[in-house]
Amino acid sequence: MTSNALLKVTDLNVSYNKLHVLFNASIEVNKGEVVVIVGRNGAAKTTFFRTIAGFLKQDSGTILFKGKDIGNLPAYDIAISGLKYIHQDKHVFADLSVKENLELGSYATKDYNWDRVLEHFPKLKTLMDRKGGNLSGGERQMLLMAQSLLGTPDLILMDEPTEGLAPHFIDDLKAAFKKISQETTMMIIEQNLPLTAEVADRVYAMKEGKVVAEITEKKEIQALTFEKYL
Amino acid sequence: MFELYLTAVIFGLTISGILFLVSVGICIGFGLMRIVNMEQMVYYTFGAYMTYALVSSTGSFLLGLLCGTLVAAGSGYIVETQLLRRVYGKELMFTMVVTFSVFMIGIGLIQYIFGLSSKPVGMPFKVIVTIMGANVPLYRVIVFIISITVYFLIDMFLNKTIFGRAIRAGIENPDQVQGLGINIRRIFTITFVVASGLAGFGGVLNAPLVGVTPYMGFEMLLFAFITVILGGLGSLKGTLVSALIMGQVVSVGGTIYGPLAFVGPFIVMFIVILFRPTGLYGVKGRAFGFEEE
Amino acid sequence: MDKSFLSYIRGPIVMIALLVAARYLFPNKMTFLFEVSTFGIYIIANDILYGYMGMVSFGQPFYLGIGAYTSAIYLAHIGHNIFVAIGLAIIMGLLAGLLFGPAYIRLRGDYFALINAATCAMGLFMVEKILYPITNGDDGLWYRSRFHETPFLDLRKPADVFWFTMIVLFLVLVFYTWLDRSTLGAGLRGIKASESKMKFLGYDTFKLRWTGFTIMTILASLAGSLYAINYGFVNPSITEPARAAEVLVATLLGGGGVYGPIFGTLAFMGIKDFVSSFMDRWELAVGVLTIIVCFKFKGGVWGTLQTIGAKFKTGKAKPADAVSGENAG
Ligand SMILES: Nc1ncnc2c1ncn2[C@@H]1O[C@H](COP(=O)(O)OP(=O)(O)OP(=O)(O)O)[C@@H](O)[C@H]1O
Ligand SMILES: [Mg+2]
Repeated sequence: MTSNALLKVTDLNVSYNKLHVLFNASIEVNKGEVVVIVGRNGAAKTTFFRTIAGFLKQDSGTILFKGKDIGNLPAYDIAISGLKYIHQDKHVFADLSVKENLELGSYATKDYNWDRVLEHFPKLKTLMDRKGGNLSGGERQMLLMAQSLLGTPDLILMDEPTEGLAPHFIDDLKAAFKKISQETTMMIIEQNLPLTAEVADRVYAMKEGKVVAEITEKKEIQALTFEKYL
Repeated sequence: MFELYLTAVIFGLTISGILFLVSVGICIGFGLMRIVNMEQMVYYTFGAYMTYALVSSTGSFLLGLLCGTLVAAGSGYIVETQLLRRVYGKELMFTMVVTFSVFMIGIGLIQYIFGLSSKPVGMPFKVIVTIMGANVPLYRVIVFIISITVYFLIDMFLNKTIFGRAIRAGIENPDQVQGLGINIRRIFTITFVVASGLAGFGGVLNAPLVGVTPYMGFEMLLFAFITVILGGLGSLKGTLVSALIMGQVVSVGGTIYGPLAFVGPFIVMFIVILFRPTGLYGVKGRAFGFEEE
Repeated sequence: MDKSFLSYIRGPIVMIALLVAARYLFPNKMTFLFEVSTFGIYIIANDILYGYMGMVSFGQPFYLGIGAYTSAIYLAHIGHNIFVAIGLAIIMGLLAGLLFGPAYIRLRGDYFALINAATCAMGLFMVEKILYPITNGDDGLWYRSRFHETPFLDLRKPADVFWFTMIVLFLVLVFYTWLDRSTLGAGLRGIKASESKMKFLGYDTFKLRWTGFTIMTILASLAGSLYAINYGFVNPSITEPARAAEVLVATLLGGGGVYGPIFGTLAFMGIKDFVSSFMDRWELAVGVLTIIVCFKFKGGVWGTLQTIGAKFKTGKAKPADAVSGENAG
């Protein structure tokens, strides 16, 4: 098989205390792809991402990133090694301004090249001094994406980035996704199927804690016929 | 009459200063590491005892100040890296019992080394100043000034430096700070060491005022908790404001009616908690035990 | 589950039989066994709070003190009947639960823990200073000479107080066994697991918590009252907040279950007794011990015993059987 996959997760099992929620999940992500994960509420998508990013500990299974086992690393080491995770709750530091939020990202990654990341989100340039707490949902998502792009990560995991956003913001984000996907690999959890059809190279469907299908056929994705797996 | 109350106010300010210094660790522990730090007063006690040991052997208060603060910070370092790292994220009871055990071990060690009896520590200087007719020891005024300076230094550090901002961000959402790639463990350790150093510093400054006994930390712990709860978990400003309130309640309240010195802080806390369950400057949604209603 | 009457009293009978046997095997340890039994009731009270509802209180000595001082004040100033003194303590425990409950149980876990500590400190101050005329402050209240003879058991004699304590402990254990299997117990446990789910299922979690809290205050008060009767005097040290830790340590040592509190108490008191024979103060030892228990014996004494018991008789590991298997055998 492709052992040179960027991310290779094998038989991952995760539980909260004794509540087993993720069962034998295996996926692969190759460099340059946009992989979308779809699934109903409670399918354990977030749990899956949080485990990959090091915020939860797996019961069993391996997570290889760039060929290295990251299953036991703390979350900050994983982030530094080039795998960023954007949380579902769209939380930005409310007390800090947009500028300070970005500075924190730079402090962690030693990457101070803001022009490169802000090019994708021109709107942020006008909001530099606004407090994170006063941003709209869409602006927050932009800030989070900009923050995670610092340090040129190899893989960005995004947890329902368009959840609860107005349609025009979704269009903006779609454009940004397309541009960002030129320079970095992305894995996105998305419930918005038309958007998925537009950006995805490959789709995994999750149901009740299991990865139930992998859809590689472009046509199938375009026609949204994978809906049957959900 | 006026002089009496003015003296009480100034004494209250000194108490506020000490309360603030020793509460910083509990406040930040609540806010950043999300633990209830029962053992903070060990560092306070260590600081006070180091002062006693050095003042009685060398006569130098400054040496006591230096060693007391360093020993406290060093103990904080050991406790954080060896023990607390294992309790982060565990349930409330567990962290409370573990940190309380550290407190008891600390008290046990003190008793083992210094015995049970209380020890006096001389004032570093005995100058009395007259402020608008009220006679107060200069030392008390200086303690207050130092504490306020410490507050402004911390505040500046948290707001003006990138490391300070990382701490503030961590108080808001530690997961996200990690997600950026910031080594949160190192932030925890450094913050904790500074906080325990401050508690020790508070112990040093308070030693000449109250003398040292093995159990000096118990009473202080209660007052410190009241201060932190009243101010709001994780809010440094809240801690300062409530320390200022507490100092006056204890001192002026006690002057008006003796028992108020002890009951006053509780009453104030009860009332505030009833109307503002998160304290004066607390952040909402900061649950440890139960889900928020 | 076996719900016959016998199944409720079998375990408690074994437990009491063990204590009585120990009392005759080690006659000079009677005071120790009395303390274990009384403290055990106190720990059961705390276990309802912690083990069932997941609430931590750093002010348990306050509720113990309510019972002790109620009985003491009655016996020292008002009456002479010991049973009335105990009854009053229970009533005061009930009132304390009803009164403090609504204000406290709404609080978040951390506030709840600390506000209890504050309450406890207030209580100490009350008995030391404000109520001085009736509590005699630090000197304490002495009233043994005022005891009247009681029918059946003469509670002026320590030997009879021991028997009386055994009866009370037996009743408490039967109650605790019942709670363990009742819907009330399940409801209280549900709060610990997930309060929002309980609400969703239509439970009035506020009332549940209030009930649990009040049971706790009654039992703690009862334990305090037994202390007061046995020693014939009380002083403020019974309500010292510093002693709040003992309760938590013993509860953790026990590790839950119907008999956990008793075994936790036995272990805690045993260690305290042992350590204080060669050390003035036992803080150091208790601190080290607790940390070891916290990190190495997560199930506590009772949990560990049960694991061993289960290994002995694989197949059925019912608590009551494990007791007899481990201790009588
Ligand atoms: N902290 C937690 N403790 C206990 N159970 C949890 C926790 N977080 C999630 N769960 C449970 O795990 C299951 C999977 O949750 P998860 O958040 O991973 O789903 P999801 O697919 O991301 O859902 P959504 O689309 O709503 O974001 C759910 O049943 C949820 O109730
Ligand atoms: Mg999710």
